[in-house]
Amino acid sequence: MPVRSVGLSLLVLVAIGASAARAQTITTELDVTVGHSTEDVEAVASQLRIFGDAGAGWRYYAEGAWAQTWGPTSDAFGAAYPYDKPIRPIEVYAERTLQSTRYLAGVRVGQYRTPFGIYSRSDHAYNGFLRAPLIRYGSYWALSNNFLELGASAIAGKPTLFVEASLGKPQDQDAYARRPGLDKVVRVQGSRGPFIIGASHIRTQPPISLSFARGSTIFSGIDARWMSGGVQVRGEWIRGRSFDNTTTSGGYVDAIVHRPLMGPVTAVLRAERLDYVAGRFSSYPRRYTAGARIRFSTRLVGQVNVVRQDQSGLVPRVSALDLALTFTTRR
Amino acid sequence: MRRTLITAFGLAATINLASGHATSVQAASDVVDVRGVARGGETLRRNVVVWVDAPGSAPPGPKPVLDQRNIDFYPRVLAVQGGSVVEFPNHDRVLHNVFSLHNGKRFDLGMYPTGTVRHVTFDRPGLSRVLCNIHPHMAAYIMAVASPFFAVSGEDGRFTIRGVPRGTYTYHTWCPGGSETTGSATIGPDTVLEVQCR
Repeated sequence: MPVRSVGLSLLVLVAIGASAARAQTITTELDVTVGHSTEDVEAVASQLRIFGDAGAGWRYYAEGAWAQTWGPTSDAFGAAYPYDKPIRPIEVYAERTLQSTRYLAGVRVGQYRTPFGIYSRSDHAYNGFLRAPLIRYGSYWALSNNFLELGASAIAGKPTLFVEASLGKPQDQDAYARRPGLDKVVRVQGSRGPFIIGASHIRTQPPISLSFARGSTIFSGIDARWMSGGVQVRGEWIRGRSFDNTTTSGGYVDAIVHRPLMGPVTAVLRAERLDYVAGRFSSYPRRYTAGARIRFSTRLVGQVNVVRQDQSGLVPRVSALDLALTFTTRR
Repeated sequence: MRRTLITAFGLAATINLASGHATSVQAASDVVDVRGVARGGETLRRNVVVWVDAPGSAPPGPKPVLDQRNIDFYPRVLAVQGGSVVEFPNHDRVLHNVFSLHNGKRFDLGMYPTGTVRHVTFDRPGLSRVLCNIHPHMAAYIMAVASPFFAVSGEDGRFTIRGVPRGTYTYHTWCPGGSETTGSATIGPDTVLEVQCR
């Protein structure tokens, strides 16, 4: 992470800390997760969040995370946080949103997840899936749930149709963090009845670690959700390139089923594909996941996933059972 | 157990906490605002629902709303009259999935984005525990009562039930973690109802 970016992050953190100190409301939330995968991976993770109303219509949100895994390289438990030991600031921002049934406008300033596709933490972390989709895991030549922007984003429109645009510098908490530069992201979201549909475009830089990579990273994508009676079906499809002379396309469809008769159990299913076209380095992984999320109480949630993926190019075969238990406390 | 509470205004309310029933002895044409205080033991208790089995209709109150903001529900305890339609607006930029599996009303609203609203009719009295399937710590209660005369105690344990006809009525209390208790009280202009949450 460049020194200048660290400075900007700290500045945002201090500003939000000052807001929190005189905030109208303040909530602190702590998650602790332990996990085990039959890929011989053990994981421990913790996130601390502080959020609330800062006054004058502003809200603040700050999240720090620490996580560690033991065992061979795997994307198990990598749904939305890095597992590489340091304590890291994840999202640290202030936002103000004005809304009625007729209009929606807002601004977010600070460090936040890249607003491309289905991107919020709630959509990826601890929702029943323990691994990020292939198109959203840093080492698979696409995007990452751990991509973060340091900058500003704005939304405008009405609740059922709005545009979100972001300008920022990469501040990724990911092993495949992007090179410094200006990121441009735009997303349009519309909703009608049980449907939410979005389209996104990003222009950014390839990862620092891929020293051979030239050119820009450019992706476009569509995402959709449908929900009714406790059944949610959602999916994303993206197409673009991580760097020159390559093409990445892929997506996933998943179902999150929580019918009233299922009590504390939420069932999840996901099918996904990734086509990375790069000559002899090409890979075409397909992955299938089935699992459940069990809400033991408002503080304790268990998750179990069965994951199956055949080997394709550099992407290894995966046949694993992942288990995780998350304890949450809030004040 | 029968005990009489003496308030700052003198003898005000006679409460029969164990009988579980009381009869309407009288009802006057004029109405009063019943002020009260809720306690758990000696401690003032917020979020205690109190309702009175009095005849008639209450003055119109604000539209019942269970707001989702800052990844939480506001208020934590909402009381409504049976048959009411409750609004569930999402004022967060993340999606929520509001549902209830409790006996009062079972529903699952699915996920919906910021600025949009869902509605649920609580068509019969009962307790609903409302949760978010995405954020486990979000939890609230909606108590639908068979009376237009109800209130929820505030941070200081105090509450006001508006427009209650004078008379002697059964009242009920409920609080999170407790069970419903009943008693009787004579409602007059100086009544201060002291209730216990158990």
